[in-house]
Formats: sequence, C-alpha cells, structure tokens
Amino acid sequence: MSRISEFRAGRRGRLGREEDPATADPEAQGSDVAEDTEDQTNQPGRFAGTLLLLRDLWRLIRGEDQRGRKLRWLLGLLRPYRIQVGLMMVALLIATAAALAPPYLAGKAIDDGIRADDAGALTLIVVIFLASVVVLWAATYAQTYLVGWVGQRALQDLRERIYTHLQGMSIGFFTRNKPGVLISRLTNDVQALDSLVTDGVVTLFSSTLTLLGVIVILLALDVPLALVTFLTFPLLAIGSVIFRIVSGGAYRLTREKIANITAYLQETLSGVRVVRSFGREDRHLQRMSELNEENRVANMRTVYLNASYFPAVELLSAIGTAAIILYGGYQALDGKVEIGVLVAFIGYLQLFFDPIQQISQLYTTYQQGMAALDKIFDLLDTRPDLVDKPDAVDPARLRGEVQLDDVWFSYAGGGDAPDADGDWALAGIDLRIPAGQTLALVGETGAGKSTLAKLVARFYDPQRGRVLVDDRDLRDLRAGSLRSQLGIVPQEGFLFSGTIRDNIAFGRPDASEEEIRSAAAAVGADAFVDRLADGFATEVGERGVHLSAGQRQLVAFARALLAEPRILILDEATSNVDVQTERIIERGLERLLLGRTAIVIAHRLSTIRRAGRIVVLEHGKIVETGTHEELMEAGGAYSRLYGDWAEQAA
Amino acid sequence: MTTFWRLLGFLRPYRRAVVGSLVFAWLAMGMTVLIPWLVGNAIDAIDNQQRPDMLPLAVAIVGAGVLRLGLTVIRRLIAGKVSVAVEFDLRERIYSHLQALELGFFDSQQTGQLMSRATVDLQSIRFFLGYGLIFLTQNALTLLLAGAVMFAIKPWLAALALLPVPFVVLTAARFNRLSRPAVQEVQQRIAELTAEAEESVSGIRIVKAFAREQHMLGRFRGSVARVFDQNVYSTRLRAFYSPMLGFIPSLGLAVVLLIGGRQVITGGMTLGEFTAFYTYLVILVGPMRMLGMTLGMAQRAVASGNRMFEILDRSPRIASPPDAVPLPRGAGRVELHGVTLRYNGSEPALTDVNLEVEAGRTIALVGPTGSGKTSLVALIARLYDPSEGEVVVDGADVRSVDVRSLRRAIAFVADDSFLFSASVSENIAYARPDASREEVEQAARRAQAHGFIERLPEGYDTLVGERGLTLSGGQRQRIAIARALVADPRILILDDATSSVDATTEAEIKRGLAEAMEGRTTLVVAHRLSTISLADEIVVMDGGRIVDQGTHDELLDRSPLYAEIAEFGYEDVLFLQRDLEEREEVARL
Repeated sequence: MSRISEFRAGRRGRLGREEDPATADPEAQGSDVAEDTEDQTNQPGRFAGTLLLLRDLWRLIRGEDQRGRKLRWLLGLLRPYRIQVGLMMVALLIATAAALAPPYLAGKAIDDGIRADDAGALTLIVVIFLASVVVLWAATYAQTYLVGWVGQRALQDLRERIYTHLQGMSIGFFTRNKPGVLISRLTNDVQALDSLVTDGVVTLFSSTLTLLGVIVILLALDVPLALVTFLTFPLLAIGSVIFRIVSGGAYRLTREKIANITAYLQETLSGVRVVRSFGREDRHLQRMSELNEENRVANMRTVYLNASYFPAVELLSAIGTAAIILYGGYQALDGKVEIGVLVAFIGYLQLFFDPIQQISQLYTTYQQGMAALDKIFDLLDTRPDLVDKPDAVDPARLRGEVQLDDVWFSYAGGGDAPDADGDWALAGIDLRIPAGQTLALVGETGAGKSTLAKLVARFYDPQRGRVLVDDRDLRDLRAGSLRSQLGIVPQEGFLFSGTIRDNIAFGRPDASEEEIRSAAAAVGADAFVDRLADGFATEVGERGVHLSAGQRQLVAFARALLAEPRILILDEATSNVDVQTERIIERGLERLLLGRTAIVIAHRLSTIRRAGRIVVLEHGKIVETGTHEELMEAGGAYSRLYGDWAEQAA
Repeated sequence: MTTFWRLLGFLRPYRRAVVGSLVFAWLAMGMTVLIPWLVGNAIDAIDNQQRPDMLPLAVAIVGAGVLRLGLTVIRRLIAGKVSVAVEFDLRERIYSHLQALELGFFDSQQTGQLMSRATVDLQSIRFFLGYGLIFLTQNALTLLLAGAVMFAIKPWLAALALLPVPFVVLTAARFNRLSRPAVQEVQQRIAELTAEAEESVSGIRIVKAFAREQHMLGRFRGSVARVFDQNVYSTRLRAFYSPMLGFIPSLGLAVVLLIGGRQVITGGMTLGEFTAFYTYLVILVGPMRMLGMTLGMAQRAVASGNRMFEILDRSPRIASPPDAVPLPRGAGRVELHGVTLRYNGSEPALTDVNLEVEAGRTIALVGPTGSGKTSLVALIARLYDPSEGEVVVDGADVRSVDVRSLRRAIAFVADDSFLFSASVSENIAYARPDASREEVEQAARRAQAHGFIERLPEGYDTLVGERGLTLSGGQRQRIAIARALVADPRILILDDATSSVDATTEAEIKRGLAEAMEGRTTLVVAHRLSTISLADEIVVMDGGRIVDQGTHDELLDRSPLYAEIAEFGYEDVLFLQRDLEEREEVARL
C-alpha cells in the first residue's frame, strides 16, 4: 500500500541529502541530518525528551521565549515572495488531493465498475485515475520546485542580512567573538533553518492535510470501519514521537562521534611530521581505535532503535490490515459494506501511517531550527557599537596631524572602569605627531603599542580623553571616510583570495593598470610578480597562501601605497625571510613611509633609526621620546633595550 | 569489476552473518509478498460468501506480520552489526596504513584528499557493503517473487503490469547519477561560501581600514547566489524525477485497473486475484526505485573503492628491514656520505653532501631559504631516504636499523611547532607518556615555558591545540622545545626553533638549551646570530650543497654568503621584544 507513500516520501524527502553517505543511514528513513552546531546540548533521555517536547509546545502556545516573535519574523522573510508562496500552497493542496484519490478510485473501480459489471464506468474511472496521477506529478513538480526556490531565496536574503549586520559591528566586537562562531552564523545556522523553512513547513502542511483528508474520506466511506482503523493511531503516534526523540539523541551522538574521528584524523594528518619524527604511530593507532570503537557503539544504538521501530510499524500496518479485513469482511459479508470500500480502506491505511511518522519527525527539525534561529537572533539583536554620530562630518583631504589628548583606554570597556586587574591599557597618553612624521613605537610586551595604534584607527574609542586628527575629534568624523584616508599594514600582510592585482587595488578599485604597476614597482614587489607565470593575474589563494610571507608583505605595502593614505599605521613583520627579501622589504618600507604621517610598531633597528621620532611605552604610559641619538644619549629605557640587544647579538 | 570483488572481500570475516541476513531478508520479503495474497484470498472469500474463511485469513495476515517483524528485527540487527563492523575494520585498516606510510607520501598528497578517502569514500563503501547488497538482493527478490506470483495468476496481465519496471529502475538510476554530482556541487559551493565568510571575518580589519564593506558584500552576494543557483538546479532535478518515479508505476496500475477489471467483469479473473494484483503493484513501487538507487550505490562504492585501494595498494617505502636491529648504543655520532636527495624525481634538494658530526657537538646550519637545511636534518631521522649515498648514526646505516628505535633517539623542534589537541603536559610528554610531572615541569622550565604555562587557566592540564586554547607561536615553540627535551634524545634537532620568540625570551631559552645540549649531538637550523652562537661549528649551505664549514670568525673572513647572513641576522634581532600573544593581537589590526 505504499505507492503513494513512496511517491510522497520522494517528493518530500530530499533524496540527494538523505542519501548522503556522510550524514544519513539508509535504513533510517529521513533521519535528521542537520549539521551539529558548536554548542550542542546533551541529548535528553526518553522521559526528559517527552517532557521537553511538552514544555516547548506550552511555551510556543504561551508565546514565551519570544519564539512566536522569531517564527513570525522568519515567516516575514517570505513576504517578498508571497505570490510564489501562494502558488506553492495551491500546488500543495492539489498534490495532496491528487495523492488521496487513487485508493478511493480503486475502490470505486471495484464497486461501480467491476462488481456492477459496468465496463464503461470502469473505463471512466481509470481515465480519472490516470488524470489524477498526471495532476499529482505536475502539482508535485510545481510544489517541490517552488518550495526549494522560495526557501533558498529567503535564506539567501537572510545570509545577506546577517552579513551586512556583521559588517556594521566594530572591531572590538570581532575581537571579542571567535571568528568560527561568527562564520557559523552565516553558514551552519542558516543551513539548519533551511530544513525548518523548506522541509518543515511543507511536511507540516502536506502531512496534516493528508491526515485530515484520509480521516474525512474514511469517515465518509464508512464510520464504524473508520473508527476501527483509527484505533492504530494513538499507538503509532506515541511510538513515533518517542522514537524520534530517542533516535534524535542517538543520531546526534553518532554525529558527534564521527566528528571526533574526523577531527582526530585531520589532526594526525596535519601533524604527521611530528608523529613520524617522534615515531609515535602506535599511540595514535590506539587512540583512533578507541574513537572508532566509540563510534561503533554509538552506531549500534541507532541500529537497535531502528530495528525496534520500523519493523514494529510494519507489524502495526499488518494488524491494521487484518482488522479491516476481519471487521470489514464480516460487514461486507452481511452486505453492510462494499468490497471496494474495503480495498480503499486498505489502500488508505498506509496514507494514514505516513503523515503520522512524518509529523513526529518535525519536532527534531523544529528544535534544531529554533536553536539556530535563537543564535541568529542573538547576533541580529546586538546593536553595533561605534556608530557614526548623526551629525558626523566627512573630513576633506587630511593633512595628517595626529594628536592624543590625555587618552585613557581599557579593554574592559565601559565608562571609567579600568581592567579587572586595575590596569589601563593606556593611561594618560599625550602625544602630538606633526603631519608627515614617522613615529616609531617601542616597548615591552603589553606596553600598549598596538592599543595606541588601534585608537588612532578608531577601532575603539577611548574611555577618557580625545584622539584628534587635524584638530578634529575622531568621534565627530564619519568612520568610513576617515578610514579611506588611513592605511593599515598588518604584520602578516593579510590578503584576500583573488589575484595580486585585485589585492593591490583593494583600497582603490578604480586604479588603472598603470597605477597598480607603479605602486608595485615603488615598493619593489614588481620583481617577484613578474617572475610569476601569470604576473599580476596570479591567484594568491585564501589569505594569500600561495605567496611567501615576504611576498605577502610586499603586496600589502603596494596595497597601502596605492590607497595613498594620509596616515599610515604599520606593524612591522618579524617573520624570518631570507636576506634578499629582507632588503627589498626594507626599501619598500622606506618608500611607503615617505611623505605621510606614519605610526610604526617597529622591530628593526634600521626602521627605528630612520624614524623621525621614537616613543618608548611602558605599562600604557609614554616614558621617553626622541630620536635614536637623543635617546641613546639620555641613557634611559631605550638605551637599556639597546644594551640588551647589543649583548645578545655579540 | 576486480574492485567490486575486492570490496566484497571486506565482508569475508562476516560471511556467515551476511548469508544469515540475506536469508532473513528474503524470508521477510516472502512475508511481505504473502500478505497481499492473503488479502486477495480474503476478498475472494467475501465475494463468494465464505464466512468461515475470514477469521483464519485475518489471523494468517497478523501471523505473517508477526513473523515478518521477527525476521526483520533479526535481519536489521545482523545487517546493522555487519555494516558497523565493516566500517570499523575499514577505518582501522586505512588509518593504520596511513600511519605506516612514509612522510614523502604526505608531501605529495593534500590533506583534504586523504581526509575524503578516509571519510566520504569509506562511508559509501560501508553503506554498500552493509546495506546496499542486502537491499539489492532483497529488492530484486521481491520483484521476482511478486512477479512470479503475478505470472502464476495471469501471465499476460503480469507482463503488461510489470512493463514499467525497467523504466523505473533506469529512471531511478539516472536520477541518482544526476543528483549525486548536483548535490555534491551544492556542498562544494557551500564550502566556498564558508571560505568567503571566513575571509571576510578574519580580514575585517583590512576591510574596515580600507572602507571596502560594499565590495566585500558584493563578493559575498556572489557566493550566496552561486549556492542559490546550484540549489535550485538540484531542486529542479528532484522536482522532476522524484514524482516521475511515482508516475511510471501508476501507468501499470491503470493497466491493471482497466484490463484486469474487464477480466473480472467477463469472468476471466476473480475479484481477489484482481485485488492481489493491484496490491502487488502498489508494493513493488518501492523495490523498483530502490533497485535503481542501490545500483547507483554500487557504482559509487566501486568508484570509492578504486580511490581507497589506490592508497591501500601504495606500500610504505620507508620501513624497518625484516632483520632490523635496534639502533646500536652510542653518543649520537652522525655521518652523511655522498648524500643526494630528490623529492619525487625533481631537482635534487641535496647534492653530494658529506658531513661528519662528532657525538656531543653542536652544529649550526645556515643558508638562504631552499638551500637544503631542513632536508638535511630530516634525513637523519630517516623521514626520507637519500636517493644516493648513506646516512650513518652511531656507526649504523639508518636504513638497516629499526626505524622506531632510530626516531626515539632523535628529537625534533620544527619552526611550525605543531601541538596535538591534548593537555599541555600530554603534549610535553608526547615522546614519553610515562614521564613524571616533575620531568615534564623540568623540561618546561628549561624551555622557558613553565612561567606562562602556570598562568594558563588550568596550568599544565589546559587543553591546547586545534580544539583547545590557542597559544601564540612563541608559546607553542617553547612547548615544542620542552617536548623534545622530555624525549631525552641522543640527537637534538632544532629547525628554526626560536623564530617566534623575542630576544629576551630567546636568551633565556638559550641558557636552558645550553644545559640541555650537554652530552647530546645537536643540529640547529638558524637564521639568527644569537642561535648560531650556540654552535661549536657552522655549516653554510647553498643550493643543496655544503659550501663552507667552520667557526664564526673563520667564516666571516672567507664566506661572503655567511658574512651577508651574519650582517642581517645582526640587525634583525633588536626589538623583537614582544611575545606572540601581542603579536597576534596586533596582526588583527
């Protein structure tokens, strides 16, 4: 009796995905396959699971948890596509009705055609039957396509919305949050909503409609026989819900176990050099065996669960059939029920079973989807800090004079509060950098060099005091236009995937080929670029992995140079590069610093010596400033650092 | 085809279970086929007013159902066990093989590819061996059985009704063939989207610094649109084929209804036979499409098998010889005689290298990038075998001794300092898990790691590595040094080991190292003068050859290359005064 059920299962289930060997067990019909999120809670036990279900339903009804609001918001994503959603609903109705027709028609064929010896009626019924399967095909096609289209569109919009929101957040936000978690909002969590929005909604509607349809048809056909058939309902419904909850936990466990294995595999493959050089293969084999065994045990649990549930459903179906035959049979013998009705009942039995099983599966989808939605909401509800003032102005071309006026800053944030351990990262900095000067920041670990640089770039606002550029408080300027005149060269020379040309022109996409070339030439990057087979069109790979550290540094220099910043913030690289590259970098740096205000977190003696002024920081305070010669003569902190080094190098 | 048979070989240990589950599956299918026949009989009984037959038939249906329950439960348990066991075996097999392969193999392979062999390919093989085979025979058998019963009832009607079968199987197989790559492409594009998101998030400081939010949004939109397009394509495939698979068998049903119905009217067939026919066709829809899918499954398993056997058939090239003896006792004397090394037949990385390191001496290897320093030290631990010449440790050719005993006598500290996802103390005790806490702490002290480890949230028990706390490069390096010291090796190899620590820390590590180097042979690959100064002797390399060898002063005089390195090494050190914690903080700028 499973023709239509198969039809529907195929229509509803995402065949490709269910089959994905990495995620699904072929015997677990439509097991939940949503990706695990980073903070998966422990699976509840059977009893607790049922309680949780009731609690969630109750909360949903009462509108607690703001889930109602979130779900409505989610539906709001569909608003731009309401025409398509309307069409989809129509297609869904038609498909459900068409799917319900065949058993009824088969019964009709028996009663009105065959047993009435009416070949004409039989032909007519068969024609209607054929028409209904054609309609079913067409409506199913339309519905599947529309659901997929609308769902994906809505998720596409959602992704862009999250992305735009993320871009509005301050650097402080990105420092506080792990990149992996933020990325997961854009990928895994949206993916988890996918099943809720597409499969979930469709299952909810089509299964409920089918179930209602079957109930109505059965009651219309024969009330007592229908009631006998419904006897199987509570058993199946309760059994299915329990099975879904328990197996949801079991499947989650298998996903965790397999994730452990994958992570371990990945780790020992990346660390293969260490493994080999210490000759510790045995230990890893043993650990892998343990993980493998855990995975086996977890998988066996799902085998047990499936082995107890699915055959039981089959048995229930046989019992239902027998009950219909027995009770209905006697009725038919007494002439109270037509045989065709009996056959139709047997046909509808499966149609009655499938939606119950499918609806029971919805709970898992709902839970996972909601967990993802909660996380997405947490992000979207976080208001961006460091937004431009409404009356913020666009600075014209800056001269590039930077001034810090009694600046106090603590990463603990908030008001005047210093760090938890009572430390200010910067404490009362007064500093004036005339336009065009190169300032070298020097100091021990944690002295506040990078913090100072970050405040000038307005990645943070100071708690006290002001940071001024050309005598204007940074907080009065539009952040975007300020930054477009600000160049930042990070130590590791972060590049984006794309070509070298794209990367150099990153700050000025309208730059001509000529300009890109001459920027590269100015910092000495042209030599290595020209040696590459594709020249400036060479793909640098993710984060620029195809280039060496020194090459990345040079491309970053060219990128900064082309943007013609008025103020440059540069963190000098310390990575080991070979002698030739070292020299090219040094010359490139010199060219880059020329004619602009520069704040350099310096490591090379050559750079420091060339700086117009050196500022020595200690514990967030300026302890010394001056040129190399002046500071050497003064015999303070700088000369002590120099002494350490001289001793070291000797 | 050979691959197919070799895959079946994985089932050999479980052949009794496999045969058992096949038998149970067939019997259960027999029950499934029996039920419609019983229903048909019941309908006939009603039609012919045979009241007494009803109860036995109903009981028989329930009986068949119960029997099927028992058979299916047993079948599922056995098959599930086999499937899981095969997965276990396959994974053990491939993992132990990967662990046996030499380092050179991994140089030529992408980790992602290997991962996919051990996960995706393994799964598809496991699914086929565990379930696919059973489904295949089960579905084929159902078709045969039901077909036979139908033929027995009315041969020509059976032929007509079963006409759609090959079409369904072919369509299902075609759908499977098309949708697989489509779905994989979706996954691929989602991976691209993830990479794009990752870049945007990690590069946010650059994006903001250059005020290029709009540009990045455009890029992200592009990735999102690519995912969308592919998803819609894959949806279209599903929307077309999936209902199609229900549609084709319906044609057979219509034929039965029309022609079979007329037969009943004309008395050529009983109503019960007709009902049975109808019910059989309904039942067969599932097996028809499943047959198509399992065929697809088999194809995939064979393709996966081919890829997996490629690895399994690749025998390890560096292994202890059968008659290997442990590394002879000694103090760590190292000799290289006429060593040339080519990686995969390319340009030699080392050419005719001759070097003798007396036991207990410290040698610094210097030279430009790509001059062969790292290759040279890798040969000593037999991570690679030389293409020509020989490497001798304490009088024994490294190829003649037990590899493990050789490697246990050598400890490496490499510049990338890979740590495992384990506690700090487990990482330090990596070479000797039985090392006591005191030994671990002592090694950490010498490597100048004790101080910062104490300050970690859980001290020595803090989980580090990919899934634990992220340490700075300098901290990782110091733990790696401690790890090497715990190994208590005869030969210590420091490959650019202090590149990520600042000058002050390095000076301290140096003191610890000087103590640790006492009585060991040490090879140091170095860029910095401060590290070079640890050495008794300096070996200058260029283009895969040793170009000079001597003390600092000697080389300054006679080697221009060394003079240049020394000059820059000198300049480089000055204000490397930060440790990596801050460096990474700043790198985010």
